[in-house]
Amino acid sequence: MARYFWRTGFMLACLLILTSCVGKREIDDLAMVMGVGLDLVEAENGEQHVKVTAQIARPADARGQTGAPSGQTGEPIWTISATDKSIFGAIRKLGSASSRRIFWAHSYVIVINEDLAKNGIKDIIDFFIRNPELRMRTWVAVTPDNASELVSSLTGLEVIPGQSIDGLFRYSKITRSAPRTQMIDLHAAYLSDSTELYLARLKLESNEISNKQPEQGEKQKNITLAGTGVFKGDKLIGTLSAKETRSLLLFVEDVKSGVGIVKCQDDESKFSTFELVHETLKVTPDYKNGKPEFTLTVRTTAKLVETDCTIGFDDDDKIAELETDIENELKSDVTNMLDKVQNEFGVDILEAGNVFNNEHPSEWKELRNNWNSHFEKAAIHLNMDVKLKSGALLFKPTTSGKKVDQ
Amino acid sequence: MPTNLELKMKQQLSENIDANINTINSLLEDNDDLVIRTFYLQFQQEIKCIMFYLEGIVNANKIDSTLHDLMSYRSANKATENQESSNKELAESIQKHLSHNSSVMVCSNIRDGITAILNGDCLCIIDQSDQGLCVSSKGGDKRAVEEPMSEQVVRGPRDGFTEDIRTNTALVRRRIKDVRLKMEGLKVGTSTQTTINISYISGVVKKGLVEEVKQRLNKINIDGILESNYIEELIRDAPYSPFSTVMNTERPDKVAAALLEGRVAIFVDNTPFVLVVPVNFWDFLQASDDYYLHYLTGTFIRWVRYVAFIISLTLPSIYVLLTSFHQEMIPTALALTIASGREVIPFPVLFEAIVMEIIFELMREAGLRMPKPIGQAVSIVGSLIIGQAAVQAGVVSPFMVIIVALTGISSFAIPNFSAAYSIRLTRFPLLIASGTLGLLGFIGMFFILAIHAVSIRSFGESYLAPATPFKPSDQKDFVVRFPWWGMNRRPQLASGKGVRQATKKPTPPQEEENSNKGSSSVIEAGKYISHEKADDNSKRGRKQRKTIKLADLVASKNKNDQDNRK
Repeated sequence: MARYFWRTGFMLACLLILTSCVGKREIDDLAMVMGVGLDLVEAENGEQHVKVTAQIARPADARGQTGAPSGQTGEPIWTISATDKSIFGAIRKLGSASSRRIFWAHSYVIVINEDLAKNGIKDIIDFFIRNPELRMRTWVAVTPDNASELVSSLTGLEVIPGQSIDGLFRYSKITRSAPRTQMIDLHAAYLSDSTELYLARLKLESNEISNKQPEQGEKQKNITLAGTGVFKGDKLIGTLSAKETRSLLLFVEDVKSGVGIVKCQDDESKFSTFELVHETLKVTPDYKNGKPEFTLTVRTTAKLVETDCTIGFDDDDKIAELETDIENELKSDVTNMLDKVQNEFGVDILEAGNVFNNEHPSEWKELRNNWNSHFEKAAIHLNMDVKLKSGALLFKPTTSGKKVDQ
Repeated sequence: MPTNLELKMKQQLSENIDANINTINSLLEDNDDLVIRTFYLQFQQEIKCIMFYLEGIVNANKIDSTLHDLMSYRSANKATENQESSNKELAESIQKHLSHNSSVMVCSNIRDGITAILNGDCLCIIDQSDQGLCVSSKGGDKRAVEEPMSEQVVRGPRDGFTEDIRTNTALVRRRIKDVRLKMEGLKVGTSTQTTINISYISGVVKKGLVEEVKQRLNKINIDGILESNYIEELIRDAPYSPFSTVMNTERPDKVAAALLEGRVAIFVDNTPFVLVVPVNFWDFLQASDDYYLHYLTGTFIRWVRYVAFIISLTLPSIYVLLTSFHQEMIPTALALTIASGREVIPFPVLFEAIVMEIIFELMREAGLRMPKPIGQAVSIVGSLIIGQAAVQAGVVSPFMVIIVALTGISSFAIPNFSAAYSIRLTRFPLLIASGTLGLLGFIGMFFILAIHAVSIRSFGESYLAPATPFKPSDQKDFVVRFPWWGMNRRPQLASGKGVRQATKKPTPPQEEENSNKGSSSVIEAGKYISHEKADDNSKRGRKQRKTIKLADLVASKNKNDQDNRK
């Protein structure tokens, strides 16, 4: 027993100590990448190369002094880029310029330039999914701007731009101006036989007023959510605007709140704004004469949030009219988006094929080989059901207290 | 070849008092505390008596009264002619008639006499008699019953064991007034002759357990037992294991509870720590408070302790493996914070963790060993130097300080001191494994520990029961402490399937039940109804008649029942 005990102890000690901490990398020896930008550049020999830009956090500057005073540069991020034929090659080149080991797992966002996306992103999807260190919950987006510029500009309230992009996506449920696309969605959509992939679109927009020179107006650039990039296969074929994206999100995501603006019934120049809550969409697929058909039912509750008209909640007829107005408004939005997706792009990004498959699996087997063309021709009927329920805190219209003789 | 000493010890007391004095003197020579008192009986002046005792371990009052009794002794046989024979029987006669002392024994050889003297009794030898008297006079200074230092409770009895075994057994006996409670005695230690009592409730304890305990105790061959840990290490299962397989406690209520659960307690003289066998690992995480507080509170604080156990075992290892191997597993925001704290630290995390753990143990040990008035200094030095200056100087990261402090506090939350220590020890192999091999090392070492813990037994009981092997009926006192009315059976380690208590869940008195219980309940039922009636009167006047009817109904039913009984 004693011999067994000591022998085991000795072997364990050897096993642990003689490994010399293989694979160890201290957290302070890592260059933690917060955001990745991918651009298309033309190399000297005319080949098209990938430029990888990495936004790396300086922990001491990003967090301030947490322990002992450490040398701080005042710059919370450090951005470097490298160009090569493949992403991995560029990443290896980045490493030769960094004093710390570049660590990709904490990357908040991957931004792909639209030019690069138009050439196909299959290699990108493959690389980021093949790598075991990377998270599947990283946000993925396309941008019309230079991805390197987008990744290296300090924007938003956060110290680290990657974190502010993360925040943009996280709280985009209310603004609904871009889909929340993560690496895992990208992968799923690419591998799916029915759904085409789409990515959020980010844009640099001059909307920040400098505190030091406010008279110059909105000069400073900020990253903004700006619609959706639509893909066919792995190639970008077009974009949806932020407004169209709102209608798209009805199909593909849970939405918390939307906005509807309608003209006043008595005065065409004035508007009422409604917040749309509890928006739900039901898609009922049908198969008629060898063609797929879809019936969409949108139900939503509207809340009056701002108005220039005289709307009181005591008049049921008026409310009913208003509901119809909002329905029409919503209907035109959804129809516009459907029109663009069906006729202009001709790709199913609405997961319609998926729904159809669930309902008519045997018919799906015939249609799936050429689904996009069937989707293009599919008739889509739209039903709207808006309930105007509350005027928030006000029941009666806001009117001035001053009495004027008419 | 028996030594001179052994030969002397074997001698019988002789009728010649001087020979006896010489023998005893030679055995107990060079002892300053040996008192030899020579006196003569008051009414038989020719009879010389000698009393031996060791000063300090005897009760002086008892010696005085014994002396008084002996000197004023008047032989009942005085009238008889045969003086010599009467003297011979004198010792026995005195034993029978000297009623002032609770325990007087007659001894006829030197060994018994010497043992009595060493145990704090006084030996009295009488001229012309070959028998001596061992008069019980144990005494000396003892510590009073105080609150146990190592296991304190908020609600619950405040008495703790002392160094005196009789006080200790009395504290338990005062709690269990059961004829089946046994306190079997034996002596262990060739020099110390330490009294050991094996306590159990016969009928509740599993068959063979007491025999096993006795057998293991009888195997002990040692010169001295100074503390119950000597016994613990000499009889325990898995002697190399860091996990304790024997429980020790200072609390008589805990021992009493263990006895009622069918365990065996081993009292050892001269130590306030009583051993309890068999034990499960989880018993070390359960405090008496669990049972004295509301069952929800008891359950909650038990969970807190389980969490404390997990923290104190794994937290430093998890921190080390995350920060030096698996940074992708840390949430990004936290990773940045940790990285910024470690920015200027020149050491690897594993080294930092080991050093901090050792420093923590140093402070704890120094605080314990130091004279109490200086103890404050340790905490000041500890908190200022280690807590702040080391962080400011960039030697230790603030996160590491938090981790080590949290681990330390958690290990103090484990109620049993020796169990807390074994957990503290097992933390180090875990720490080194996870610092060298990452998650793989952590899991590997954890499995080694877990397999070891599963494999050991404590006096025949699986160490990790009732978790594994899973015992459904014992779950009522494991993760959740059930209310007392829900815990009906004794744990499975007790013998048979004895019902421990058969009280049902307390409920308000029921009409139906009451009405069937004879005359006294007739009034009760009436009261209950009339109460309701009054209530109804004030609230809903209309229902009054109906209620009265119900009352009449119950009353008539009671009457019928009574008649039937007659």
